[in-house]
Amino acid sequence: MDFEPSPTQRALLDALGVLLSRRAGTGRSRELAQRAAYDHELEDALREGGFLDLYATEEAGPLGATLAVERTAAELGAVTAVPHLLVSPALGLGPGEGPTVLAVAGDTGPVRYGGTATRMLVAGADRCEVARLDPTRAQPEPTVYGYPLARVAAADRHELGPGTAATMLAWWRVGLSAEAVGMMRRALDTTVEHARTRRVFGRALGSLQALQHRLAELSVRVEGARWLVYEAAHLGAPPEAAAVAAAHTTAALHRLTRETHQLKGAVGLTVEDDLHLWTLRLQTLRAELGGLRAHRRAVSESRWAATA
Amino acid sequence: MEFGFTREEEAFRGEILGFLDQHRGVDGYFHRGTDTADGVRRVYRALGARGWLSLSWPSEFGGAGLPPAYEFLLWDELAYARVARPPMGPGLVAKALMTHGTAEQRGRFLDNLARGRTAFCLGYSEPDAGSDLAAVRTRARREGSEYVVDGAKCWTSNAHWSDYIWLLCRTGTPQSRSRGLSVLIVPLDSPGVHVSPIPTLDGGRLNEVRFDGVRVPSADRVGAENEGWQVVSSALAVERHVQFPPKRLRRDLQDLVDWTESAGLADDPLVRRRLSELAVRVAEVEALALALLGEVTSGQPSAVPAAHHKLAGTLLAQDIARAAAEFDSPEALVSGTDVEFMWRQAILETIGGGTSEVMRGLIARQEFGLAG
Repeated sequence: MDFEPSPTQRALLDALGVLLSRRAGTGRSRELAQRAAYDHELEDALREGGFLDLYATEEAGPLGATLAVERTAAELGAVTAVPHLLVSPALGLGPGEGPTVLAVAGDTGPVRYGGTATRMLVAGADRCEVARLDPTRAQPEPTVYGYPLARVAAADRHELGPGTAATMLAWWRVGLSAEAVGMMRRALDTTVEHARTRRVFGRALGSLQALQHRLAELSVRVEGARWLVYEAAHLGAPPEAAAVAAAHTTAALHRLTRETHQLKGAVGLTVEDDLHLWTLRLQTLRAELGGLRAHRRAVSESRWAATA
Repeated sequence: MEFGFTREEEAFRGEILGFLDQHRGVDGYFHRGTDTADGVRRVYRALGARGWLSLSWPSEFGGAGLPPAYEFLLWDELAYARVARPPMGPGLVAKALMTHGTAEQRGRFLDNLARGRTAFCLGYSEPDAGSDLAAVRTRARREGSEYVVDGAKCWTSNAHWSDYIWLLCRTGTPQSRSRGLSVLIVPLDSPGVHVSPIPTLDGGRLNEVRFDGVRVPSADRVGAENEGWQVVSSALAVERHVQFPPKRLRRDLQDLVDWTESAGLADDPLVRRRLSELAVRVAEVEALALALLGEVTSGQPSAVPAAHHKLAGTLLAQDIARAAAEFDSPEALVSGTDVEFMWRQAILETIGGGTSEVMRGLIARQEFGLAG
C-alpha cells in the first residue's frame, strides 16, 4: 500500500492549486453569489488545463479526478465538478459545456445550477437518461445555501445502456462526498485557526482541553471521510463503498457544521466571516440525492440485498 | 409542591391572548425582514399602557407587585406568537436601577421604561471580550464630573433602534479584570457614538457601537465606580425566568410539523419518530423552565437551574431547526419558509446570552463545586 500521491498526482494537484488560487476562492465565490452565477470562466480554464479529462487519463484516473473535485470544492469553485469530472466520463459521455445537473427520476426538487444548465443526467431504475434542458423553462428558487437552485424542465431525453443508473449514482455519491471533504477540511481549518489566535480568560481559546477534544474528534471524522472517499474512487466506485463514503461524510458534515459554528462563536455568525461560505454549501450537499437516509439505505441494499 | 398556575394567573393568560389578537403579525421575536423595529416599539408601548411592562416591579416603584409567574406567562405567550421578546429596559435595566440606581436615575428612567417609551440595548461584548466579559477594554476616563469613553462594543443587538446603551466599561486599571468595571447609561445619539451594522447569517443585523471621546456625566453611572460587575451580575439574575421562553420551542416544533405536512413527509415513520423525540424534549425544557420559575419565585439563587434551562432549551431550538434538513429534502433550502429561516437563526441561540460552554462550566462549578 502506498497512500502518498504519486509525483504525477502531486504535479497535477499543484497545477490545479495554482489555477484555483487565481480563479476561485472566497472573494470570487462572494462575487458570483451576488449574481447567482455559474463560473464559465473557471470551467473553461479547467478544460484548457485538461482537468475535465483526468478520469480517462492513465496517470490521474478516477482517483485523480476525485482529488480534483475535492480541491475545486474546497476553493468554492462555482462549477458542476461532479458531473463534469466524474459522472459524465464514468458514463462514457463528454463533459459538455456549462452546468450539468444530476437528478433521480421522479424527483422534482430544486437542483444546483438548474437555472442555467443545458444538460441533465437522470438516474432511473436501471438506466440513466441524458436530457436536454431548456433554461428558459427553469424555475429558479431563492436560497442562501451557497449554490443557485432551480427546478428544471427537460426538453428531450435519451436512454443510456443497462446498468448505467447504478454507475451514475455511485460516482455521484463519491463526487459529492469528495466535495464535502474539501469543504469540511477548510471549515475545520478556519475554526482551528480561530481557536489558536482568539484569547479568552487570559489564554488561547484552543488551550481549553474540552475544546481541543471537540476539534480533535472533528478531524477524525473528516479524515475518515477522506479515506473512505479515496478508497471508493480508487476501487472504481462500487455501490457499497460509494454509499458507505457518502453515509459517513453526510453524517460528519452535520456535526462539523454545528461544532465549527459553535466554536467560532459570534464571529462565525457574521456574513463578513468566511466560515459560512463552506457550511451553508455543505447543507446543499447534505440534501442531495436523498441525503443521509438514502445513503444509508443504499449501504444496506448493496450489502444485504442478496440475503434479504 | 404545587404544579401549574393559579386561577388568577390563568385568567391573566386569557387577557394576554386577547391582547395578542390585536398585535399578531408583528415579527418582533426574530426581527425577520428589514423594518420591524417600529412594530415592536408599538407593541411595547401598548404593553406599557396596560402596565404590563412593570408587572413584577414593587408598587413603590409604580409596578403591579405581582409574582414572577405573570411576566413569565406574558413573554411565553408573546414568544409563541413570535410578536416580541422581553425588552432589556423595563426588565434588566429597571430592576438594576431599583437596586443600584440613585433616586434621580429612578425618577428619570423608571416611568418611561414602564410605559414602553424608552428602549435600551446592552453594551457588553467586545471584539476581544465575548464569553470572557471581565476582559472588557472600552475605557471610561474620569474628567471632573464626566467620564470620557473610548472603545468599541460589537455584536450588540438592537443598538440601531434603541435610545440608550447600558454600557459595561473599564474605569480601573487595564489589568483590573472584574474589579475595575463600571456601568454607564449612554444615550445612543451622544456626540462620538457611531452605530454600524454587522450583517448576520439569518439576514438580520447585530451592531458595532464605537465610542470616540464620548462625554458621559458621572451622574449616569449606575452603582459605585468599579463595582459594575456586581450590577451586571445581579441584573442578570432577576431576568432569567423570562429570557428564553419555552413556548418559543413549542411554536418551532409546530412550524416544523406543519412543514412536514406541506412537504409530504408527515407519514414517514422515521420523520414521525424524530418529531416525537423532539416533542419529548420540548416537554423537558418546559419542565426546566417551570422549575426555574419556581426558584425565582421563592427567591432562591437561580443560576444553576437557569443554566440547565438555557443549555437544554437552546440546544433543542437548534435541533428542531435542523430536523427539517435531516429529513433530506432540498425544499428545506428554499428561502421564505420558516424551517429554512430557523436553520440559520438557531446558530445564534447557543452562542448569545451565554454560550453553551459557559453554561456547562457554570453547572460544573456551582452545582458540583468542581474547581476551575
